[in-house]
Amino acid sequence: MCWMCEAYGEEGGRWYHNPKNFARQLYKVKRPGQKASGYGTDPETQAGLIMRQLVAMKWEDPENFPAKLKEFEELPKEGGCQVLPLKEAERVAELAYPITSMMCICRKTLRADEETNEHEYTCTGLGVGMFKWERWPERYRGGVNFMSIEEAKEWLRKMDKLGFVHMIMTFGGSYVGGICNCDYPDCQPIRHRLDYGLDSGLIKGHHIAKVDYDLCNGCGICVQRCQFGAIKFEVTLEKTNIDAMRCFGCGLCETACPRQAISLVERQSIPGLREVW
Amino acid sequence: MRRYPKIEIDHSKCTTPFDCKKCLRACPQACFEVHPVKVEKFKETDKKEPGAYRIEAFYLDKCTVCNDCVNVCPVNAITITV
Repeated sequence: MCWMCEAYGEEGGRWYHNPKNFARQLYKVKRPGQKASGYGTDPETQAGLIMRQLVAMKWEDPENFPAKLKEFEELPKEGGCQVLPLKEAERVAELAYPITSMMCICRKTLRADEETNEHEYTCTGLGVGMFKWERWPERYRGGVNFMSIEEAKEWLRKMDKLGFVHMIMTFGGSYVGGICNCDYPDCQPIRHRLDYGLDSGLIKGHHIAKVDYDLCNGCGICVQRCQFGAIKFEVTLEKTNIDAMRCFGCGLCETACPRQAISLVERQSIPGLREVW
Repeated sequence: MRRYPKIEIDHSKCTTPFDCKKCLRACPQACFEVHPVKVEKFKETDKKEPGAYRIEAFYLDKCTVCNDCVNVCPVNAITITV
């Protein structure tokens, strides 16, 4: 069981299946006494500056880097991010209200992406906070696109098709605030985990992609879909090779496979992976 | 021993990075981040207002000193020293 499920799941279930984590009472806009003004005071810049400190330490003080990393590992635990395959994301869309599409702050930060309307939005906002976000352009671009459950599912499928990894995120504690649609290097949690080993910022999903060698014809379509470097084309077997230790269980390879040779299996069903998060 | 390059940005020259965004889009290693300097309640920071956004190099360990950002900068605000 992942630490989010241990802390916020109910009766051994997954934390994002627990309706309590969608309750509007959990939504807190701000921490008391904190006000953003000037460079480095908004949460995104703060997170960036913390990471820059860590990056610098890798070089300037490699001996103390592991200790510092451990210290930072505790920070994201205030709110978790977890990889979510499409089917699970669609299920979350049924639990949350309202559902919106909105701009992605990571993409704005890293690539100066300007997502100005619902045709350009790449992030999914969930919950009561969206009523505020609609007229909350500070740092973010204001405006959200409210969607019905069916529209939201269609939207998630569209994001999946484009090649984005779905990731469920919380706004502090267990309050489910959104489903990000991410890729490397734009997505901060993916990048920080892959490049700097900040594992707690992004928890692996509850599934693992498995290849059926009888069905796989080695077309290689899945290889380009993996954002985590878990998939290689194995020349020897002329098949796809998925490293289960590197797999985050996003299922992008599964949805792209033209021969249905890849399936998602429960992480818990594989003894060696049960505690690999 | 490998040393991280030093990426300096002259903020008196680079005043509207979020509007220009050339280096942010060009960097193959995605080393830069742009953040607002001016944070006003209920108002999106104006990308055309000089000094309202600031760009900084964050992921120095990834920089290969390919100088693509230096070459693409229209105001020569970036210098990289190894």
